[in-house]
Order: sequence, then C-alpha cells, then structure tokens
Amino acid sequence: MLLPSPAPASAFEIVDDTGRTIRLDKPATRIIALYGAYNEILASMGMESRIVGRTKADVSPPSIVSRPSIGTHMRPNVEMVMGLKPDLIIQGAGRKEAMMPVNQLSKEGLTVAVFNPTSFAEIFSVIERIGTLTGEPVEADRLVSSLKGTLDRVKKRLAAASTRPKLFFEVRYPDILSAGTNSIVNDVIEHAGGSNCVSVKKKLVRMSIETVVACNPDFYVVQEGPMNRNPVPPGERPHFSALQAVRDGRVLTVDEQVFSRPGPRSVEAVEQLATFLHPQLISEDKP
Amino acid sequence: MLLVLLTLGTTVSILAAAMFGRMEIPALGVFKAIAAGLGLSSGSGQDPVWEKVVFNIRLSRICLSGLVGLTLAAAGAAFQGILRNPLADPFTIGVSTGAAFGASLAIFLGLGGQTYLGMGFIPLAALAGALAALFTVIALARINRQLRPETMVLAGIVVATFLAALISLIKSLDEESVSSIVFWVMGSFQGRGWNHVAFALPYMAAGLVLIGLYSRELDLLSLGGVQARQLGVNVDRVRLRILIGASLLTAGAVSVSGVIGFVGLVIPHLVRMAVGADHRPLLILSGLLGAVALIWSDVAARVLLPGGEELPVGVVTALLGGPFFCLLLKWRKERGGLD
Repeated sequence: MLLPSPAPASAFEIVDDTGRTIRLDKPATRIIALYGAYNEILASMGMESRIVGRTKADVSPPSIVSRPSIGTHMRPNVEMVMGLKPDLIIQGAGRKEAMMPVNQLSKEGLTVAVFNPTSFAEIFSVIERIGTLTGEPVEADRLVSSLKGTLDRVKKRLAAASTRPKLFFEVRYPDILSAGTNSIVNDVIEHAGGSNCVSVKKKLVRMSIETVVACNPDFYVVQEGPMNRNPVPPGERPHFSALQAVRDGRVLTVDEQVFSRPGPRSVEAVEQLATFLHPQLISEDKP
Repeated sequence: MLLVLLTLGTTVSILAAAMFGRMEIPALGVFKAIAAGLGLSSGSGQDPVWEKVVFNIRLSRICLSGLVGLTLAAAGAAFQGILRNPLADPFTIGVSTGAAFGASLAIFLGLGGQTYLGMGFIPLAALAGALAALFTVIALARINRQLRPETMVLAGIVVATFLAALISLIKSLDEESVSSIVFWVMGSFQGRGWNHVAFALPYMAAGLVLIGLYSRELDLLSLGGVQARQLGVNVDRVRLRILIGASLLTAGAVSVSGVIGFVGLVIPHLVRMAVGADHRPLLILSGLLGAVALIWSDVAARVLLPGGEELPVGVVTALLGGPFFCLLLKWRKERGGLD
C-alpha cells in the first residue's frame, strides 16, 4: 500500500519579513528588485545577469542601467513586470504602502518576497534568504562573512576608543529630517563608534533646529542624494553656528545611497564614518 | 443622433484603449484576449500572459475610468442644475475632499497594504470619508429643514477647507506616507482592477437611478426654487434627493480613483452648448462624453512617460481641462454670458 509520503519541502523556501512563506520550485533566475539595495546584494553575489528589470531610480551597479525600467518602487507597471516573466520579485518594505504593489503583483500570480532590514543582522539574514531562493547559499555565506569581516576589523580598531561622540545625521534640509533608531543609519552609527542624537524609534524623524542645538552634536553628517539635493553647507545656514560640530568644522557630507540604503555598501558607510569619528584609531594601522 | 454617435464612440474607445500599453500585443491578440476573458473563446494558441494583461489589467482599468468619467460628468451636470451655479462640480460640495481625507487617514494608519474584498483598504476609507463629508455639509446647510443652494456651496467650502487642513496635519505627522498621500489625492487608476469596478458600481448605479428619476424636476429646479415650487415641485425633498444622488456618484467615483478634477466641470458645459439645458439628454450625453474623455485621458496617463512611470490621471485632466475651460468661458462670455 502506498502511504502518502510528506512532500519534501522545497529547497528554495524562505519566510519573508511579512511572515509569508515564499517557495520556488527551482532557483530564481529572472529577478526584478523593486528596491535598489537588492540589486546590489545580487550583484555582490555575482548574479547581475539574473536581474531582468529595474526601477527608474536604480542605476547601481552600473551594469543594470541597460535593463528595462518598469516604473518606480511604489508604483511598478504591472504590465511591464509581467512581460519580463520574472520568477522572483523582491520588494523593500520601508514604507507601509509598499505592500500595495506587492498585493497587485501577487494577484497576477507572481512571486514577491518582501524584506525590510534595518540593521546589519537583518541585512545578513536577507542575504542568506536571497541565497536560498537563488540556489546560491554558498555565495551568500561568502558575502556575509566578507561583510562581517570588515565590520570586525572596524570593531577591533575602535576597541581603544574612549568616547562615543554624539552625531547628528541629516536626511533632509531645510525642514530637517533625521534618521531615527529604527533605521540602518542608526546601526551604521553604532558600528562606527558613534551615538545618534535621535532616540525616537522611527525610521525618519522630523526635527526642529532647536532640538539639534539642544543635542549639540560633536559631529554633523549631511547625506546628499535624492532626498537632500544640493544641501546648503551647514556653516552657511542660520542658527547652525551655535553647533559645536559646525564651529569645529566637524561636518561630513556623505552619499545617501551608501548610508541610507541597507545593503552590502552599508559596511562602506561604517568604514567611512568610523574614519571620520575616530581618525587616530582608524588611520594609523591602515595598510 | 448624438446619442448614437457617443454610444458608438464609447464602445470603440473601450476597445481601442485596450491596444495601448507597455507590452507589445498585436491587435488580434488584444481581441482574442478580450474574447477569452469574457468566456467567448478558449483563448488558446497565444501567450497566456496576454490575456491577463489585456483583460485583468487594461480592460478593468478602462472600464473603471469610463465609469468614473461617466459618473463625474453626470454628477457635474446635476450639481450645476441644482445649485444653479456654472462652477459647481463634484468638488464644490466637499465630497471629494472627504474622500481624500478618508484615504489619507487610511494611508497614515498603514492600512494601504491591507486588503479588503481583494483590494486595498483605501477605497472603503475614501467612501466613508466622502459620505461623512456629505452628511456634514447637509447638516450644516439645512436651515429650518430647507436646503438652499447658496448655503450648500458655502458649507461645502467650509467642510472641504477644514478637511484639507486635516490632510495637511496627517502629512506633517508622517513623513514616510507623504508621497503616497499626495499621489492618491492627485487621482490615478494605476493598479485598479475588476474588484474596484465591483466596489464602486452599486453607489454609482444608485446615484444614477436617483438622478434619473428626478431629471424632470431638475429642469424645473434650475429655473429657481420659487418657480419650481409654483410648478408643484416639493423643492426641499427633491433637492435633497438629487444632492444625495449626485454625491453618491461622486463618492463612488472618488473612492476608487482619487480626486479627478475638471471632468465634472467642463463636460456638462460642453454638452449644454450642443444640446441645450434639458436635463434628460444633458445627463446622458454628459455621462457618455465624460466616459470617452476619461478613458483617453487615462491612456495618455499610462503611455506619456517613459520607463514604466505613470502620470496621475487627475494631472492629465487638469492640464487638458483647465485651458479648455478658460476657452469655453471666454467663448460663452462673448456670445452672451454664462448662465
């Protein structure tokens, strides 16, 4: 008599950050990421050739520019996505409404995995799960240990640091927006040996200049990118001369895509910020 | 004659608009896909993705934009008649801002990703907001059980302005939702499907029936309340019912599409110029012309931008409708004023 044997769980199965089980019959080979960080993860694992489409804003790594653009992160063109016949779509759920396109695409029978990493631990978990879905667990392990290696090196060098300087991270100016504790930026600051002026448990926090002055950060970091185009240098702004960081010239302008996007380049952000916060510790034993 | 022409135009528009899209599908493929979607043929022998794209994505959206155009234009004709104001349109009464507030609140509370009846939660919240705004306006405008057009317009503006302030409050509280709220308020059919059609249809149908029943009284009412009363119309009751009918049309439309301006304002004026102020033909022809206008505005919204991006259709109707309305105004002034 034939007993129904339990179906072997697919090897290409994960639980995404919305708690849904994502199961593929075979490794994903035609992938569209609706959020740019996942293109960078795929590229770091040597899978650029599996990226079949991109959103209008995503041009990193440069090799994906030639892929067809299928709309935007929040409003992908479902028709174009279907035309590319992807076997895996990856969405970032930084915003609550990012689920709207997910629902639409799922309704048309497409597989959509949703990730929302806000820390290094979560980025590593995302990389492992992408490794599972693409049938490349070894590549995923390799990438994770390389990223962890960089973080460990920074940590060792910072071991001698006596202080954790206060830092203000400017997401946008003039109506000042800062990174809250529920963001990758916060984890980058922690790993770089600093402490965030903002302790609100949100991703983005609206700030008044008064709050910034009250914190009186030792360092002021301005991100430059789509959210903060051509910001006025802090030294030239009204009220900013009250800040110790501005008076001492400890102001750094950084690339938004490196700092605010949770992906492989987040470790670059840690290295860059650590060098800025603790120059004496980081530079002396650089190769 | 005009009726036959416009009915034909609507049908042709629905089919022709299905040809436009980002995926290249030959005309024959489009027809086969529509036939298969309607269950008229098996649709075999061609890419199954075509059927999904043409029937689920394009056709549902075309039908929805046609319905919204129809209802907004018919509601505009009714509002202009009952309020005796050439500038009245589905927005004057505050219903649209009510819908925008409901939707903004839902987005703010993170309900945008939740599903209800197989679609987002937002249409439901928008509908609730629209109806709440309507009843607030009616309550404000009813003095001694009388509903006067001037008071209605004033109450509508007050409620709309207050709700707009609440929307601004929501936007300032939640930085991450701002772009979603702004985009919703601009009006769009992106991502809408058959379930949105099914959701809005009952309200639209109820509104159309209500206005249709009173189309003769609407003719009398547009002569003015006093004359209508002399001619035996129960002015207050009829006003209230037509108002509710037109508002239901607006609420149904806005709940699934967001705020789409100018259709309800421009189309009835245009039709009135062609056929006169008799409300029965005015309502029907405005509806049909509204449907055709919005179907093609949405095609423009879908295909104008490169790279899969879309314009909100409300932006298209405003860009087309604004200058057009100015011309209309100037032309009619020269021929003896707006009435």
